[in-house]
Amino acid sequence: MAQVILKDVVKNYGDVYAVNHVSLTVEDGEFVALVGPSGCGKTTTLNLVAGLIPMSGGTISIGDRDVSDLDPKDRDIAMVFQNYALYPQKSVYKNLAFPLQMRKLPKDEIDKRVQAAAKTLDIVHLLERKPRELSGGQQQRVALGRALVREPRAFLMDEPLSNLDAKLRVQMRSEIKRFHQDLNATIIYVTHDQLEAVTMADKMAVMNGGFLQQYDSPANVFANPVNMFVASFVGSPAMSLIPLTASSKDGRVVLQSPEGWELPLSDANGRKALSAKSSKVVLGGRHSTIKVHKAQVPGSVPGKVYTVEPTGDITFAQVFVSGAVVNVSVAPSFQLRPDEPVFIEFDQDRLHLFDGETEMALKLE
Amino acid sequence: MTMELSAGAAKRRGAGGWRWAGRIFLVLLLGFTVMPMIWMFITSLKTGFAAMQYPPQWWPAEPTLENYWRLIDPSGTVGRDFIQYFWNSIWVSTLTTILAVVVAVPAAYAFSRFRFPGRNFLFFAVLLRNMFPAVVFLVPLFILMKALGLVNTHGSLILTYLTFGLPLAIWLLKGFYDNIPVQLEQAARIDGATRFQAFLLIVMPLSTPGIIATSIYSFIGAWNEYIYAYTFLTRHDQMTLPVGIQRFFSENATDWPGLMAATFMMSIPVVVLFLVLQRYFVRALTEGAVKH
Repeated sequence: MAQVILKDVVKNYGDVYAVNHVSLTVEDGEFVALVGPSGCGKTTTLNLVAGLIPMSGGTISIGDRDVSDLDPKDRDIAMVFQNYALYPQKSVYKNLAFPLQMRKLPKDEIDKRVQAAAKTLDIVHLLERKPRELSGGQQQRVALGRALVREPRAFLMDEPLSNLDAKLRVQMRSEIKRFHQDLNATIIYVTHDQLEAVTMADKMAVMNGGFLQQYDSPANVFANPVNMFVASFVGSPAMSLIPLTASSKDGRVVLQSPEGWELPLSDANGRKALSAKSSKVVLGGRHSTIKVHKAQVPGSVPGKVYTVEPTGDITFAQVFVSGAVVNVSVAPSFQLRPDEPVFIEFDQDRLHLFDGETEMALKLE
Repeated sequence: MTMELSAGAAKRRGAGGWRWAGRIFLVLLLGFTVMPMIWMFITSLKTGFAAMQYPPQWWPAEPTLENYWRLIDPSGTVGRDFIQYFWNSIWVSTLTTILAVVVAVPAAYAFSRFRFPGRNFLFFAVLLRNMFPAVVFLVPLFILMKALGLVNTHGSLILTYLTFGLPLAIWLLKGFYDNIPVQLEQAARIDGATRFQAFLLIVMPLSTPGIIATSIYSFIGAWNEYIYAYTFLTRHDQMTLPVGIQRFFSENATDWPGLMAATFMMSIPVVVLFLVLQRYFVRALTEGAVKH
């Protein structure tokens, strides 16, 4: 396995930048998830690493080799495709053997490796079948097997689980994670599902509009999103964002809503709010850090319940606060009704503040 | 999948009346198509006298294979000519088909897979040729062939048939390549194949039904073509079947049974070809309809 380094990688089609100066390093044996909404450039980035499309600029190296100008076949990588891309006319055995035949391995060596991979993935009994005779989950395993037989320098996976049903997806998720641990494999994994990224990856690279937004461990991305996009993309339900105005009042910094209520900030948060370019500040909070009260308490702001979604052990609700939707969660015993007025309280230590103009997270220098 | 099926089934049940109307229509259509063929066969078994009788004999009183023997007997002039025409037709059609496929496969693949400047225009230009009736090109092509010294050679026919066959072949095959997921090639290239190997080892085998369907179209087109063959060829030893069998007409009389026997023989290769390859052909026709 090897390290994969992208340096200032660009892919543009005329004025449209699918990948805009992306740099990131995937360490040897690391599992990195590229996440973002559709069209964010994650799949294009993966295809650039694979060499399936030519780069417009930048360099990519795998291990100690610069592979920027190499054909896919010479990059020594394996890829698992969203639609599996199994060769329909070949049996499972021949699908697994194909990468080895292309590398002109001796027949008995090919057989040994195919059998070993099949055993690892528990598909020995399927070797003589054609791909169309397999279930979605089995096809997925064969696709993994074809990547695995060759012992490549890195694995590239393009939404490999998105064609599976929900139950199978959860099962395969843990299998791929296991696969990563057992092989100590370098994996670049593209998904639009932030939950997949959070649960599987060592690091996640959040992309939007061709730009790399944030590249960090899932825990750090979750706890310290660099901007409003990352904040609202990672986490389920999403982080709630309320646009407000910051001002100083009696030596304290408060956030004011257009309706007139004020939320006093702690000292640290106050300094953050004042570092914004203008007085426009966006308040962000995750449901787990927001308390809901039936009556006003100090530091709470008024809102109105919009929807209530009981899930059994926790009840989610959406509350309108100053025109924004705020996701909150309460214990099932806490009865909420639509249109009921409530008061919500943000945890000063865990709320997020963003610059209303640049949309970047406000931090203390 | 199952939902779609049951919805389809319900629709079919609901339209029972239409279903019968459809069946009756199909039977009528079948009769319309098959009757001439049956009549052709029956007439080919008659003597010259029986063929002219009125009212006609639906089944000849004395069926004879005499007309067929005459056609395949190389010692008679009729047989000699017929065999010559037959081979000419086979030669011209086969060569046309092979050339069409050899050129159309890479062309269609390129149209399907590559983005290059002028791609759409070129593809349109390819199809444009087929939007004009064949007669429009008859005189210009004749003049061209004459200038090239190709009149009275099979080369003139093969070139002309290619101008019709190739666009169709390219268009048909492009449809097939469009339906083969590009990821298969990408997978092959990552698995260690060159672009050409990916095409040869993965895409080509998958497009076999398409190539076969295209070949059949191309072959039948060339096999049945009359007007160009009639214009470009005047020498008897060069003629193809559609033109050649005209010798059964003469100013004074038409040898109907002989003509029908020749026509029947002429349809045999196409029917055999179709029967042998229909498995692929039917699959090929439905291939483009379903999204995988």
